[in-house]
Amino acid sequence: MEFKLEAHRIVSISLGKIYNSRVQRGGIKLHKNLLVSLVLRSARQVYLSDPCPGLYLAGPAGTPAPPPQQPGEPAAGPPAGWGEPPPPAARAAWPEPERPAVPDAPWVGGAEPTATVTGAADAPQGRAADAAEAAWGRVEGPREAAARGAGSPAGGSDAFPEAPQAARRPCACPSGGEDRRGAAAASPGADRRCAPPPSADESPAPPAVCPRKRGAAGVGGGPAGCPAPGSTPLKKPRRNLEEQPGREEDDGAEEMETGNVANLISIFGSSFSGLLRKSSGGGREEEEGEESGPEAAEPGQICCDKPVLRDMNPWSTAIVAF
Amino acid sequence: MGLSFLSKHLPMQEGQPQVQKTPADIISTVEFNHTGELLATGDKGGRVVIFQREPESKNAPHSQGEYDVYSTFQSHEPEFDYLKSLEIEEKINKIKWLPQQNAAHSLLSTNDKTIKLWKITERDKRPEGYNLKDEEGKLKDLSTVTSLQVPVLKPMDLMVEVSPRRVFANGHTYHINSISVNSDCETYMSADDLRINLWHLAVTDRSFNIVDIKPANMEDLTEVITASEFHPHHCNLFVYSSSKGSLRLCDMRAAALCDKHSKLFEEPEDPSNRSFFSEIISSVSDVKFSHSGRYMLTRDYLTVKVWDLNMEARPLETYQVHDYLRSKLCSLYENDCIFDKFECAWNGSDSVIMTGAYNNFFRMFDRNTKRDVTLEASRESSKPRAVLKPRRVCVGGKRRRDDISVDSLDFTKKILHTAWHPTENIIAIAATNNLYIFQDKVNSDMH
Repeated sequence: MEFKLEAHRIVSISLGKIYNSRVQRGGIKLHKNLLVSLVLRSARQVYLSDPCPGLYLAGPAGTPAPPPQQPGEPAAGPPAGWGEPPPPAARAAWPEPERPAVPDAPWVGGAEPTATVTGAADAPQGRAADAAEAAWGRVEGPREAAARGAGSPAGGSDAFPEAPQAARRPCACPSGGEDRRGAAAASPGADRRCAPPPSADESPAPPAVCPRKRGAAGVGGGPAGCPAPGSTPLKKPRRNLEEQPGREEDDGAEEMETGNVANLISIFGSSFSGLLRKSSGGGREEEEGEESGPEAAEPGQICCDKPVLRDMNPWSTAIVAF
Repeated sequence: MGLSFLSKHLPMQEGQPQVQKTPADIISTVEFNHTGELLATGDKGGRVVIFQREPESKNAPHSQGEYDVYSTFQSHEPEFDYLKSLEIEEKINKIKWLPQQNAAHSLLSTNDKTIKLWKITERDKRPEGYNLKDEEGKLKDLSTVTSLQVPVLKPMDLMVEVSPRRVFANGHTYHINSISVNSDCETYMSADDLRINLWHLAVTDRSFNIVDIKPANMEDLTEVITASEFHPHHCNLFVYSSSKGSLRLCDMRAAALCDKHSKLFEEPEDPSNRSFFSEIISSVSDVKFSHSGRYMLTRDYLTVKVWDLNMEARPLETYQVHDYLRSKLCSLYENDCIFDKFECAWNGSDSVIMTGAYNNFFRMFDRNTKRDVTLEASRESSKPRAVLKPRRVCVGGKRRRDDISVDSLDFTKKILHTAWHPTENIIAIAATNNLYIFQDKVNSDMH
């Protein structure tokens, strides 16, 4: 039990570090973020290997990070919980673009959320190329909303148009950004690779873990809909983008329970207004797509209801800190 | 070793002692040149300060020369990468001296992205007696010139001039963590998290990539390069360390791209010590060849290890630097101390190794006697000629009078950068923004 608590605490600390790394001067440090992601992975494994289902915050009905996962499974078994929006689904989708069904499944009523997407999301959705970016954009959305101190729906919506556009840039870069081996010309520009612009760079990197988790927590449907299906093939270029230290966590992170951590992330983004509301999608305006019902990824609820969570210091500390 | 306190410097502040720590003054690298006459320090503000050892005074033949400031210059400035919208820090990550080949001294300094070659020259004479110009350089009235003279060189106050001779830019996508000059004195390498490039000192517009561990899919990334160094004698050999705790010795004769190592030095992990942070504490933060070229010294978070180039399976010797921190890894993770990158150093004869720790402590290990000592670099011990007193960290149990308990260690005072004179027992210790230089007066055994 203590291991679980410690693991939980370490996870929250790690996520905080990744989050903070995006604002550090000098750019994101690959080495440090890699180490943090390894710690995250270890903590997750410990957390999940402990047979104590009570602590499994049933996140989004088992987002199948690893393809074998059945969408409908409760998070009792391994992880599934943490699902991430594009990632788990999309990730499964990336290597095998021909499985759009998987991504849809986890987001029960995924169609609905899509339908309820706000106007902001429509724009990105319209462009397949941007759907992928939109996923990032969506992720970026809450942060930007938080940055603006926005608790209003407008804030969330605003975030999306920007982010996707910003995020779009990477794919526009020539994919031949890889430097040449051997006599690599170190001339100016020669080594300029397909580098993501700031916001896009930050969104994947800092918390490559965060956005994904949130997705599973139900962001899934989220604005911009389920980016995976339409955008699958386009995700590939982005994966080759440089300096996405957070990315390596995806592999491991995808199986993590999204439950509370995703909640924490969305809490970060929504300035905790979600904590107070009971309705699904709570105060997380930007997560309009957040479906109710099966997801039960109601941060407010979970955080308040689960006695364990209530007692866990790191969570309350994090919440208070915000 | 009866280390006496030789001198102490506050490089960035003239006059009054510093009470506040200016982030820009934090020393980020320390390096002696090949003779030990010069000592270069780089700081977070992109400045380089070079100290020169004063010649020993004839009046007091037993007193050793002290180090005084020789030159100060701004090596790197903060830059902005517009394409990535990233700021490039001006912090000097590493300085490496080139072997001296003429009257001038040269060194390489690097920040995260750009390496620069600086030439340091002295000017102590100047020509006087020009025919057309007077002393101030104004043109003379020709009517006053009645005879011709040959200008002569007259002595002047020593002036040290530093000029950038080469700028090696755009070679790295990731942050440069080390540079190393080859024994051939013509080439050098620079390493970032995923790649190592080979440069020729005279060519700035191209470099050769000799190691590339970037996976095709960044999601598969599991380890990064943390440090690298050329072999001191064999110009074809170099070693690089990884975040997984392994060392790879590569031979440039084997292939143009040295992704495949010639030797892999790795110690199997001790399963009983497994924790969440096992991977972090096994990451090698520094690797140094011995002067002999036979051994390598590595530093990870809790230990220093000596490796024999002929034995890949495990290190020859392992020394615990501060094992009492093993139970505190979680707190150290929280406050980011677990990511601190400590350096290590050999003495001139490869018999003693040194590394820094917290609370301004630094540790020395004698490989022959197996004795070790903990010393502190602090102002209290900075009275000139004072002999440093060994310190002890108590971990419970009996506590002696001057012991420090683990809980009262100051983790903000860390000694990350240390350097040992190439031949003599003089050490330079960087404690945040202070530089301490200690010298061994008496060549006695360590107590």
